[in-house]
Amino acid sequence: MTHSASTSEPPRSGTIAIAPLVDIARLKQYPFLARCSDIVLKKLQPNVLEQYFEAGQTILRMGSYTDAAFFVAEGVVTVRLSPAESRSGPLAPPTALPRSAPMTERIHSILWRKKEAAVVQRGGITPGATIMVGDLSVDLRSNEDVTLEAGEVFGGLNALSQYPIVADFVAKTAVLCLVIRAPALRMMFKQRELADFKKMLDEQYRTQTLGGHLRSVDLFAGLADETIARLQATAELVSYEPGRLIVEEGTPADAFYFVRGGFVKVAVRAGAADAAVTYLRKGDHAGEIALLLDEPWPCSLSAIDNVELVKLPRPQFIDIMAQHHPEIQELVWQRVIDQLKERGSVSRAPLASRYLQLAMDTGLINGESVLLIDLGTCTRCDDCVRACADTHGGTPRFIREGSKFRNWSVPTACYQCTDPVCMIGCPTGAISRPLGTTEVTINKDTCIGCHNCVKRCPWGNIIEVPFHSPALNRDIELATKCDLCLGRAEGPACVQMCPHGSAVRISFKDRALVTRTLSR
Amino acid sequence: MPWAVLTPKHAGWFRTSALLAGASLAIFVVWSWWTPWSPGRAGGLAFGTAAAAILYLDALYPLRRRLLAWPLRNAQQWLQFHIYAGLLGTLFVLIHTGFSLPHGQFGWWLLGLTVWATAAGLFGVYLQKHVPDVLAHHLSVEAIYERIPELSARLKTEADQLITGAPEVLRRFYLTHVRAELDHLSPAWSYVVGFRPQINRRVEVFREVATFLSPDERVRLNGLQTILSEKLELDVHYSLQRLLRQWVAVHVIPAILLLGLLTVHIVSVLIF
Repeated sequence: MTHSASTSEPPRSGTIAIAPLVDIARLKQYPFLARCSDIVLKKLQPNVLEQYFEAGQTILRMGSYTDAAFFVAEGVVTVRLSPAESRSGPLAPPTALPRSAPMTERIHSILWRKKEAAVVQRGGITPGATIMVGDLSVDLRSNEDVTLEAGEVFGGLNALSQYPIVADFVAKTAVLCLVIRAPALRMMFKQRELADFKKMLDEQYRTQTLGGHLRSVDLFAGLADETIARLQATAELVSYEPGRLIVEEGTPADAFYFVRGGFVKVAVRAGAADAAVTYLRKGDHAGEIALLLDEPWPCSLSAIDNVELVKLPRPQFIDIMAQHHPEIQELVWQRVIDQLKERGSVSRAPLASRYLQLAMDTGLINGESVLLIDLGTCTRCDDCVRACADTHGGTPRFIREGSKFRNWSVPTACYQCTDPVCMIGCPTGAISRPLGTTEVTINKDTCIGCHNCVKRCPWGNIIEVPFHSPALNRDIELATKCDLCLGRAEGPACVQMCPHGSAVRISFKDRALVTRTLSR
Repeated sequence: MPWAVLTPKHAGWFRTSALLAGASLAIFVVWSWWTPWSPGRAGGLAFGTAAAAILYLDALYPLRRRLLAWPLRNAQQWLQFHIYAGLLGTLFVLIHTGFSLPHGQFGWWLLGLTVWATAAGLFGVYLQKHVPDVLAHHLSVEAIYERIPELSARLKTEADQLITGAPEVLRRFYLTHVRAELDHLSPAWSYVVGFRPQINRRVEVFREVATFLSPDERVRLNGLQTILSEKLELDVHYSLQRLLRQWVAVHVIPAILLLGLLTVHIVSVLIF
C-alpha cells in the first residue's frame, strides 16, 4: 500500500512521545477502513496510530503481550522463533560449596552466605502455567524465517485474548504499521462496514489456532483430525462486553462454549439474588452436561470483562458426542460430579460464594500466584517482608498492606496475572514472562524507569525504587515487583519464612483450592 | 480462654515430643529406682548433657533465615523445633537435677532462669495464638504497627474537618468528650483480656447526645462515632501488637542469661 503525503508524521519507533492522531483522510486510505463513515473513524482515532520501524528493529518480542493488532502498511516483517537459550534470563548458577571444602568454610558459607548463593537455575514450563497459543497466519519452524508483507495483520488475537506473542516479529525492511489497539478492534468488530476485517481475523483464528484450542478440551482431546476440522468449520466466534449475560439459568441449552479470552462468571439463583458458583477462565468450557443430558442451563453465565468465546451449536456437538460417546462418557460423568460438588459447596457454605464474588470483583481471579495472609494466625512479625528484602538486596518487593476479606489479607504484591497487562508496551522489553512460566519479572539492566508497567498494573502492585542505572548512567525510578523469588530453589521467601504458616500463595486457576483456602 | 489455643498446630511435633518426654521420664523412674540419682552420675550427667545441647541448639532460632536444612526447611519447622525442643530441654534439666531443689545460689539461678525462660516462652505461644485471632475476628480495622500513629493522626484530622461548621452543642461535645481520645494513642495491657466493653462504654455517650441534635446533625455525629470507634480499635491494635513485640524481651533476656550461666556451669564442671 502506498501512502500520499500526510499532515502528521507517524512517530519513529523507540520514542515515548505521544503519537499524534492519524487523520481521517489518511485512515480512509487503508483499504479495510475505506468504507467507514467519518463518525466511526473519529471514534477509532484515539486508539489507532501509525508507527514506523527501522530495518532490523523488533516490533513484538516472543513472550511479550500486546494490546494492539499490527496492520502492515509498508515493508516486510520477519517472523522467527527465538532460540530457547536466550530466554532463560540472567540467573546466577548454584554456588554451594562442594563437600570436599573444609568444614569451617562450609559453615561460614551457610551462616554468611551471599543471597545469590541460594539462587539456582529454574526454567522450562511451570506445572499448571497457562500455555498460550498465538495467532500466526503462517507455519513456523524453528530454523527458518517467514515473512509478512503489506496487507497482513498480526497480533490481533493476542490483543483480544491476551495470549503472549509466540515468535519475534522483526522489521526486515523499513516498516510502517497501522497499530490498532484492542478498544478500537472491539469497536471495529461491531461495524457492518468492517465485517470483512472481522471475518479475516476470525478466519485467522479459526484456521491457525482453534484446532489447538479445541484439542486442549479434555472432551475433544482424542478426536480425529477430520472431526476437529469439522468443529473448526462450524464453530461460531462470539464476543461479550463486561456484565453481559451469555446464557440464562433455566433456558434451553443450545450450545457448548469454550472460553478463549476473558473471564466468565457462573452463578445460580439464590432467592432474589445470584450466588457465584465459580468462574471460567481461558481454556475452560461450559454446556456439555446440559447438552448431553438434554437439560436446560443449570446456571447463568455472564461476562466479567471483555470475553471471547467459541460457540459450538448443539447439533454439531451432539453429533460428535454421539460418535465418540464411550470414550468420553467417563469424562462427562466426572464433570457432572465436579459441578455438583461446586454447587454443593456453595449451598453448604454461602460464604464461599461471597469470596468467589469478591475475587471476581477485585480482579484476584486474574492471579496465578496471589499472596494471601491469614490474619487469624499472623502475628504481624513482618518476617515475610524481611525475608523478601533479604532475597532482593534489601528492598522488599511487596507491602504487607492491602485489602482485607474477613480473616484474609491480600498484600500489595504482584498477582502474576494470567493476562499481564503490565507487559504491554514496555519499550525495552525489560518486563517479561518466559513462555509457559508464571513469574513476570523485570530486568533492572534494561528497565529505563518509564513507569509504563507501573501505570498499567490495575492493582498498583508494581512499585518504583530509586536506582542508578549503569546502562543509562543516570538515576532512574526502577520498576520493581514480586518475581516469586525466581531462581530460589525453596520458592518464595515470604512463604518459607513465615513462622506461623500464615502466608500462602494460591493460584486462582485452582478454584477448588481457592474455595477451600478462603473458607477456612 | 478458648481451648483452641491449647490445640497443637502441628500434631507430629507434639506427638514426637510427648513420646520423647514419656520415654525420658520412664528412663529416669527406672534408673533412679535401680540406683541413687545424682546430677554428677551417669544418668544425671547424660540428661544434663542432652539438656545443654538442646538449649544451645534452641538458641540458634534467630538464625532461622540462614540455617535451612533438613528437617528444618522453613521458619515454621524452626518455630516448632524451638518450642518443643525448649520444653524437652527444660524437662531434661529437671531430670538432670532428679526433680530436687538446687543446693547453692548458682543452682537456683540456673533453675530459676530455665523456668522463667520456659514460662515466658509458653506465654508467648499463648499470645501468638490468641492475639492474631482477636485482631482478625474481633476488630474491623487492620493496621501495620509502624503506621498506627499516622493512621490515628489522620483520624483526628478527619474528625476536625467533620466538626467544622457544626452547631455549638456538637462542637462542645467534640472538644470535651472526643478530641482528647483522638489526641494520642492510648495503649493498655488490659486489652489482652477484653476490650469490647471499654469501647462500648466510651461510645455510649454518643447515644445521649444524639437526642439533642437534629436528624442532619445526627449524621455528622454518627460519622464522629465511627471515627472514634476506629481510633479505639487502633488503640487495641497498637496495644496487642506492641505486646507481641515486647514479650520477646521477657523471653530472650533471661534466655541469654541462662545460656551464659549454663556455659559457666559446664566449664566449671569440666575444670573442677
